[in-house]
Amino acid sequence: MIVQSLRFRLQLWHGALLVIVLSGFGATAYRTASIDQTRRINDELEFRLENLFRPPPEELRGLQPPPGMQMGMPPPPHDVRMWLGRMLRSRVEQLAAESGSQYYYVAYDENGVATVKTPNTPAALPKRGRPAGAPPRRVFAGPGPPGPLTPREYGIYRDVLRELPHGEAVAVGRSIETDRAELRRLAVSFLAAGAALLVFGLAGGWLLASRAIRPISAISETASKIAAGDLSQRIAVRETASELGQMAQVLNSTFQRLQSAFDRQSRFTSDASHELRTPISVLLSQIQLTLSRDRTTKEYRDALLACQRAAQRMRRLTESLLALARLDAGEEPIHRERFDLTALVRDCIELSRPLAWENEIEFVCELPPVECVGDEDRLAQVVLNLAANAINFNARGGRVRVAAKRRENAAELTVSDTGPGISYEDLPHIFERFYRADRSRSKSQGSSGLGLSICHSIVEAHGGTIAVTSVVGEGTTFIVTLPDTPPAR
Amino acid sequence: MRVLVVEDEPDLLASLLQALREDGYAVDGAPDGEDGLFKAEAFDYDAIVLDYMLPKMDGVELLTRLRRTRRTPVLMLTARDGVKDRVLALDTGADDYLVKPFDLEELFARLRALIRRSAQQSQTRIEIKDVVVDIAARTVARGGEQVALTAREYALVEYLAMHSGKLITRSTLYEHLFDENESTLSNLLDVHVSNIRRKLGYDFITTRRGHGYFIDSGTGEAPV
Repeated sequence: MIVQSLRFRLQLWHGALLVIVLSGFGATAYRTASIDQTRRINDELEFRLENLFRPPPEELRGLQPPPGMQMGMPPPPHDVRMWLGRMLRSRVEQLAAESGSQYYYVAYDENGVATVKTPNTPAALPKRGRPAGAPPRRVFAGPGPPGPLTPREYGIYRDVLRELPHGEAVAVGRSIETDRAELRRLAVSFLAAGAALLVFGLAGGWLLASRAIRPISAISETASKIAAGDLSQRIAVRETASELGQMAQVLNSTFQRLQSAFDRQSRFTSDASHELRTPISVLLSQIQLTLSRDRTTKEYRDALLACQRAAQRMRRLTESLLALARLDAGEEPIHRERFDLTALVRDCIELSRPLAWENEIEFVCELPPVECVGDEDRLAQVVLNLAANAINFNARGGRVRVAAKRRENAAELTVSDTGPGISYEDLPHIFERFYRADRSRSKSQGSSGLGLSICHSIVEAHGGTIAVTSVVGEGTTFIVTLPDTPPAR
Repeated sequence: MRVLVVEDEPDLLASLLQALREDGYAVDGAPDGEDGLFKAEAFDYDAIVLDYMLPKMDGVELLTRLRRTRRTPVLMLTARDGVKDRVLALDTGADDYLVKPFDLEELFARLRALIRRSAQQSQTRIEIKDVVVDIAARTVARGGEQVALTAREYALVEYLAMHSGKLITRSTLYEHLFDENESTLSNLLDVHVSNIRRKLGYDFITTRRGHGYFIDSGTGEAPV
């Protein structure tokens, strides 16, 4: 849905914002210009009006003030009126002639009748009526400002009216048509510029939004390929510092972990089924063979014994697999308790003695009391496994050395044998599941190839480490380190 | 027919050896690749059953080395059924492939097919005059009636019939009818031949004095 598109919504908001900002700006600018213009015109007219009452000194000389009146002193009422009338008349005529026909001047008497006007006074001049209930003006104190100034605007004209103390009034005005036109032009140019800016802003915004959103499209495309089953896809990350780049990196590492987990799992199941096929094959062939004709009791017994061997092998295998799977999933938590590692090791050695005796292996022990923290049962498994390996992968009449030591904040167990050793190529792989370095021997013993993997998992679950060193022809040494407190993950 | 089984799982090897013996083959066994290669190069087996994963030398390597000198038909056994593994086995020179666990019947049938193919016998029933040798059923009938033959007699008839028209020397017959554990007495072969002649007709098997035996395929050609 286009309305749902992020890009579209961004554009919508962006556009709305632009419109608001641009119109706000335009309106304010226009209004300011308009007010400024009005004030300018008012000032201009006011100035003219003042001029009316302040004739230049040389003019004054030509005018006779009313008898008894001196500049600065309030003249008597009706004399002032007459003087004013005459002065005004000449002044107005003078000013009108001077400034051309731009300004018009009007004088009203106390009855609101326009008694003096310049020839260019507009016909539609408003009457000047005394507003009802208006208080009488105060006494005119001579030429100067007092007296309210009333701007009037009508049609294309604007003037300024000053009231005089005894009811008369004077007005100066002019046409403001050109000024208005100027404002109109300003408004139009604001609109045009605003529209252009809006278009430009919208276009720019669209481009920017597209650029910003494109990586998101790329990411979601990759993610859907992954969801469809191709776990090997990764998002191409070009800049790692941006928020999107970081998100892509996190996603990539998640996919990597997912892929590894899936690979591990499928390898595991294929290895497991492969391992199981061999004992099943033994069972099947043995049974089919035995049933193909009548057999003696001994033959039946031998066949059943072979079947049992195969079944036991499968049991061991499935138990090991289950243990590994549980360890992997962290289903069975490790019970941490303090115990004496040495005592545990001694018990395990006792259990291994029959096997050792069979293979003429001698145990050499260095077992001072060593405190250890961990799961006794699980660690017993580890010790037994290492001991069994040391016995089985050993020369006849060889030795197995078992030592326990207390290290700083950890317990250390060493198991070494005098066997043929592990080759350089095999060494990195021995903890891998189902890995068997020497196939012939382990097959006949029915080993599953999982023993060391289980040891590794158990030790890791304790937060410890298991390491191996080996010299071909001399022997192999395993070192297990179990810290008292597992390191923080 | 003489067959070699190379398999490291002892119980499985024992089963296969016994099963093949009971089916009338002369069988030798080898528990690892080295021993297997040695035997395969030393004797002319009619077929080899070879496990993929072996100690000391794996099946593929054995096969590669064997194929330099011998064209013995090879049936590979394996627990791996991935496409890559099958392709590798077949490309290296195996003639057929069987995934564990398998039914013994299937193993036998495939072996028979391999042996037939290498003897260039496309049919399972070979007719020589009034005698019909059914290789699949391991029976021989004369004039429509089944003739009882001992395992060794049948093996001899089968071998000569599969290679009918060709002259087979005595030493070849020994090599293909007895396994390494059996002592070979020269007389034994003659005894078997005369018994067969008694049961199937004197001219069933022709003797070339000083050279060997053959079964006349009836094409009128001189034996090679």
